[in-house]
Amino acid sequence: MNHAIVLAGALIAAGIALGGGAIGAAVGDGLAGNATIQGTARQPEAQARLQIIMFLIIGLVEAMYFINLALGFYFITAVASGVQ
Amino acid sequence: MILLAEAPPGTHPTVSVCNAWYCTFNYDSLISSAIAIIITILVGFLVADRLSHGVPGKLQMLFEFLIDYVRGLIRESVGEGGGFIVPLAMTLGFYILVANWIDFFPLAGPVHPANADLNQTLALALVVIIVVQAYSLRVLGVRGYFRRFTKPFEMALPVRIAFIPLNVVEEVVKPVTLSLRLFGNIFAGALMVYLIGSLITFLAGLVPSGGLTTALGVVLGPLAEIGLIIWKAFDIFFVGTIQAFIFTLLTIIYFGMAREGLEEEGHGEHRRSAPATAETGG
Repeated sequence: MNHAIVLAGALIAAGIALGGGAIGAAVGDGLAGNATIQGTARQPEAQARLQIIMFLIIGLVEAMYFINLALGFYFITAVASGVQ
Repeated sequence: MILLAEAPPGTHPTVSVCNAWYCTFNYDSLISSAIAIIITILVGFLVADRLSHGVPGKLQMLFEFLIDYVRGLIRESVGEGGGFIVPLAMTLGFYILVANWIDFFPLAGPVHPANADLNQTLALALVVIIVVQAYSLRVLGVRGYFRRFTKPFEMALPVRIAFIPLNVVEEVVKPVTLSLRLFGNIFAGALMVYLIGSLITFLAGLVPSGGLTTALGVVLGPLAEIGLIIWKAFDIFFVGTIQAFIFTLLTIIYFGMAREGLEEEGHGEHRRSAPATAETGG
């Protein structure tokens, strides 16, 4: 009984963490894309260089979300196997 | 399908040499990183073997372009005397790239992308950070090294003292984020492949039940398989490449941050000590 409550709490917490992380990653991606579009509109010849930087920033931003996902899964498996 | 038989990612089979915590090994990570190391060394020797002053081959051209690029980055952010970073950063980046791309092949048994184990990425990050700290000590001297913890330099002294805890935390967090970023990306990729794979089995289980559920399974099953292929390609060729590049770039940036305060000290209060060690050290 106790185990079930803990597991349910862990699942809800992981869901909230994933949802919040997705919001943050989406906002960050949007900001990077916004800046790239503005830069390209001002200086079309800089597009290739800006795109490399944009993908770099997107990689950094999404890394936070993936860390979230991985650690969330780790915690759920730890709770599911550990708490009896 | 091969992926259905696999255990969920994150559980590593271990082998113990003696009965202590420090000689328990995740042997699957050892095998997969050994494969990546062998491929990295073989490609390196292949390029070195076919080196020519005349018309370069395709592989040599690619390597020359990459080394040129890394060298330019180091010149920009580290400056003179950073030549020893080129082999370190290039080897780390290329090894991580190989270790990530290995996942493209249908792997069986204990082989998995080596960076999906936190022990592996933490080892890489610790090597980088130890070399960075040693470089910082050598370039700045002991006094300059501790002075670096009182950033920002242009502030008044009480403010700089108040910044010390923040700077210490920043230094401690560096290896943690460096390792967790790589681990989280690669592990989450493997996790998503596992989850989509179990979704495919679930949909295949719906097919024989008849009625609307059969239609659901028949329609959504192929869609899930296409999604699996798309995710796998995105995960390996986009995320894997970008993460290898980011690891290399952050290595170089950390080396650049390790020599902060050198310029101010050069024409600041004590001219003699730090720049002299910088010249002999590089």
